[in-house]
Amino acid sequence: MRTRTSPGPWFAAPVAVFMLLCFAAPILIVTWYSLMPSRTFDLTGALTTENYRAAFTEGYTRPLLWSLLGAATTTVITALLAWPTAVILHRYAGKWASVTSALIALPIFISESVRLFGMSVFLMPRGGILAGSLNAVFGIQIGSILNTWAAAQLGMIYIHLPFMLFPLLLGVSLIPADRIEAARDLGASRWQTFREVELPLAAPGLLIGALLTFVLCLGANAEAAILGGRAVTVITAAIEQRFNYAQDWPMGAALTVLVILVTALIVLPVLSRLDLNKLTRR
Amino acid sequence: MTGARHITALRALWVTAILAFLYVPIMSVVLASMANTRYMRFPHKVWTLDAYREAIASFTTWQIHAISFWIAVYVVIFAVLLGTLGAVAFARFDWRGRSVFQRLLVLPIFFPQPVLGLALLLSLNAVGLAPSWKTAIVAHLVWIVPIVTLVISIRFFGYDPAQEEAARDLGANRWQVIREVTLPALWPGIFSGALFAFLLSWSNLPLSVYTSGPDTPLPVWLFSRTATNYSPLVPSVAVIGTLISALLVVSLALLLITARRLRAPRG
Repeated sequence: MRTRTSPGPWFAAPVAVFMLLCFAAPILIVTWYSLMPSRTFDLTGALTTENYRAAFTEGYTRPLLWSLLGAATTTVITALLAWPTAVILHRYAGKWASVTSALIALPIFISESVRLFGMSVFLMPRGGILAGSLNAVFGIQIGSILNTWAAAQLGMIYIHLPFMLFPLLLGVSLIPADRIEAARDLGASRWQTFREVELPLAAPGLLIGALLTFVLCLGANAEAAILGGRAVTVITAAIEQRFNYAQDWPMGAALTVLVILVTALIVLPVLSRLDLNKLTRR
Repeated sequence: MTGARHITALRALWVTAILAFLYVPIMSVVLASMANTRYMRFPHKVWTLDAYREAIASFTTWQIHAISFWIAVYVVIFAVLLGTLGAVAFARFDWRGRSVFQRLLVLPIFFPQPVLGLALLLSLNAVGLAPSWKTAIVAHLVWIVPIVTLVISIRFFGYDPAQEEAARDLGANRWQVIREVTLPALWPGIFSGALFAFLLSWSNLPLSVYTSGPDTPLPVWLFSRTATNYSPLVPSVAVIGTLISALLVVSLALLLITARRLRAPRG
């Protein structure tokens, strides 16, 4: 009422300028690079879409598909693991809820390299923590999934579980308890209650968790490097190879732009539907 | 009655299993650090803390921790400055373009970090800047500033701007209003925002790995030494690095509790 012109934009300006310079501009530069002739290092060449054609014909679709598959698998499995956990923590854990939530959040702040390294010494064949203990205690000898795609996948689930669990905990807390009781009283089965009442009400949390997990996994590289033994090439590894070993920046840039496009196609529609004010105000 | 007890036990078992899944690998690092052989042969024949002695005596250990520390310190300073201003725009004022600002600001969070790192690396090359620990600060900020802004905003949404007017009506000038009314409301958010910024920067791998150039922060060193040239030194440094961040959290929490205790009798 006091002022028609709000000072809001002035407070937003420093962040906006920083993001334009360090987030938007690099994306533009990469896009421009992707339109340069192959194996050139400056931005003055004639524009060409040759790199994009090469991206689809010269075997780069495989790494991209691996990454998409890994991201989708991780999203589904972490959601399946996180849903019951969130429900138990919210409804039944009582005094244990906050301690357990803190314990689940803590690993986010421990470096990915440390946690993945731990997973690899746990899975290591023969002298690894798991194989070694089983052998010493029970005399059982087991193989190891280390250096396979399965190990990389396990690592991705392990790293990203907290990212799914937290938004989901928020989502589950949006379900009023009396709504479930009402549905049950009216004769809805467990499954019907879940599908018609719980899922729609918890949707914002589930959506944010799924989005975060999927997008983070799309670029995930360390899991395949440390646990997968590069048994498969994920898209980030393919881009890195173009940049470093092949010295083909425009090709690497084209692949980067493709990943950014996939990300944008998934993130933007979901984000435009979410009401951030409502979610953060809780 | 027994059925209900079974279900309760099952629920406890499920949560325990999830916690075990999250913590077994972390415990494995601790176990691996107590070996004295280059190749892991668990259970160790000799349990020793030699690797820790070696780590503390090694110059590299101190160097990688110093690099990570200074990156994190600068990230905290800039992220809190930018994030506080951003949060005021995000949560305090209602202005045209606010919802666009809110949506654009969270975009870097929903962005694959290694891809962001590679895009920044290419851009640095394009403008002729050599990657170093300073460019890693910028890379971390792109991801951390939106998070810190959100963290401060969440705490700030409960704030009632009418308090500012009340203070002004009581004769406070603009600076007094900021110092006595606005900042105290922002403090809890700024505090958690700064903590988040430090911890996320300290542990970040995917951005540092492409943007820190010849300066190797702790997570990048661990990553490269895991792949090649492994020895029990690697897990011991991992444990030391993690303990430092844990120590920081615990000491800050203690500080906060003491501060609250000291303030309590007066108020």
